[in-house]
Amino acid sequence: MSKSGSNLNKCPFNSIYIEEQAYEYPITQQLLEKYTGCPVIRIKHYKDVFNRTNQHFRIQKEHLSLILAVKDKQFLYKGPEVCQNFGYTNFYYTSFILNCIFDCEYCYLQGMYPSANIVAFVNIEDYKNAIADIAIKEPVYLAASYDTDLIAFHNIIPYMDDCYNFFVRQRNLFVEIRTKSANQAFYKNYPAADNIIIAFSLAPQEIIDRYEKHTPSLESRIKAIQTATANGYKVRICFDPVFIGSIADDKYEVFYRKIFEQINPDKILDVGYGFFRMSRDFFKRIEKQRSNSLLYLEDYCVDDNIVSYSKELQEITKEKHFKAITQYIDKEKIYTL
Amino acid sequence: MVFIVTALMIEAAPIIEYFKLKRDMNSHEYAIYRNESIALIISGVGKIKSAMATVYLYCTYKATKNDYILNIGFCGAGNARYELGTMLIINKVTDMDTGRDLYPDVFFGHFLPQEAICCFSKPVHKEDFENSTDFFCDMESSGIMEAARKLTYAHNVVILKIISDYLSPDNLDKNVLQPLIKNQLCNIKRIIEELIQHNSNMDELILDKEKQAVDMLSKNLKFTEAMKQMLMKDIKKAKLKNLEPLKILESLTVTTVNSKSEGKKIFEQIRQQLK
Repeated sequence: MSKSGSNLNKCPFNSIYIEEQAYEYPITQQLLEKYTGCPVIRIKHYKDVFNRTNQHFRIQKEHLSLILAVKDKQFLYKGPEVCQNFGYTNFYYTSFILNCIFDCEYCYLQGMYPSANIVAFVNIEDYKNAIADIAIKEPVYLAASYDTDLIAFHNIIPYMDDCYNFFVRQRNLFVEIRTKSANQAFYKNYPAADNIIIAFSLAPQEIIDRYEKHTPSLESRIKAIQTATANGYKVRICFDPVFIGSIADDKYEVFYRKIFEQINPDKILDVGYGFFRMSRDFFKRIEKQRSNSLLYLEDYCVDDNIVSYSKELQEITKEKHFKAITQYIDKEKIYTL
Repeated sequence: MVFIVTALMIEAAPIIEYFKLKRDMNSHEYAIYRNESIALIISGVGKIKSAMATVYLYCTYKATKNDYILNIGFCGAGNARYELGTMLIINKVTDMDTGRDLYPDVFFGHFLPQEAICCFSKPVHKEDFENSTDFFCDMESSGIMEAARKLTYAHNVVILKIISDYLSPDNLDKNVLQPLIKNQLCNIKRIIEELIQHNSNMDELILDKEKQAVDMLSKNLKFTEAMKQMLMKDIKKAKLKNLEPLKILESLTVTTVNSKSEGKKIFEQIRQQLK
């Protein structure tokens, strides 16, 4: 069943756990062929591994394992209030994958899950059926790259190969795929569609260096945006999360200028803007895990169980930032929380 | 500290000799052998005994989640894929009585083959099974795992099994078995070193001395629990900014106050100094 570790370097994962019922799916078979040297562990249910007690999130993050599982219920969730809905009332999200290959210090997933390991659900057809069932009744805005980064994961499991044409065919469906990936090939290989929006998360390079471990540089993300817009994609730019404080305050205005000097603002669908924020429970959990993080030691306000900067500080910063952004983008096209 | 649990003296003896462990005369309930960094306990055969011994070690030595548990012992193999004497690192333990699966996180020992193991309550023989016997088996691993999952992190428990037989556990010769363990001692040492190295790389903020100082200050200066927490947060921040909060705290350890309001004044002064 398992193999010795002699070929481990070829696989990006420490181990691959596979649910018994997941073996029969094509994704599983393809991965087993692709990563022949990786130890494979047969499991009954993904939660037996993912939800164990006493997992060390930080150490696991350095030795990621992949868990292949079959999702058995609830393929879609109503969008939470801490997320922007960009004007759509029927806002849903779906999670083909739990967790992310990147390691962002501010990421809420660290507080949401007991494990850093990545769960990838292999029953894509069930997801498609659930999405189609809802989209047949009413227009739906679907965040498809939620709790993860589907495009960054594309080289491991190409979910979009299976889903792209399906998304394009759904008349009532508007899909947002949020990413930090610099994968340009994606936008050349798939034709742009009216109902698919690629949302790029951007931040000043100093913020990327400080908080967004393993993510592509700002330069390479800008190149990916240029490729996407050149290929006709609807592109959203997300300045989210925005940080306030001595390490960030003087970085943003220069950054906005740099972005819109390199990306034609007319080719941008809209902009998402939001400050660093997190549910209080997640924040507390992460604060314990990341004992050496200054981010979780800053003074924040708690409003309605959400930890973030004070309203006053947010207003002052927002005004300053909007002054810079609106030189390039109409205010009506900027969505904030 | 590294805690090693073996079921039998025959498994323990070569390890005791190799690591130069000495009998801990304070322990009467179990035979424990130790040096400064390793303590080995001989649990007896079976998962209940292995779980009890693990908990006993943890309680006796006031261990924490950052300590390590190693179960080293023999196992049976239902197939001949590996030679006798091969050491396996276990990535899944199935308790054959309950059907429950338990998983250690295996982040080291990649030079060893990884396998799953079935933990039985009694010795098993090839003829006990009508169907395939493509599995490995022992009698302690699930007890270790059950105890360890309460006591330590999932990556700090290691199950190492050396194949002693192909499901024919009766009449095993001590003179044949002991060399099987001896041959793996270098690998056991390497695993322990990897384990310790691995955790030391995590670069966690250690605040033990600062905590002690804050406890003392809080007592002398009548700080409340909330004030203590605020102070610890400021200390963490100061330390991450490469300041030396301990010096500030130590300069006040002999100061005492008569009222809470006096303490509060000093509290604010300390906070200012930590900025």
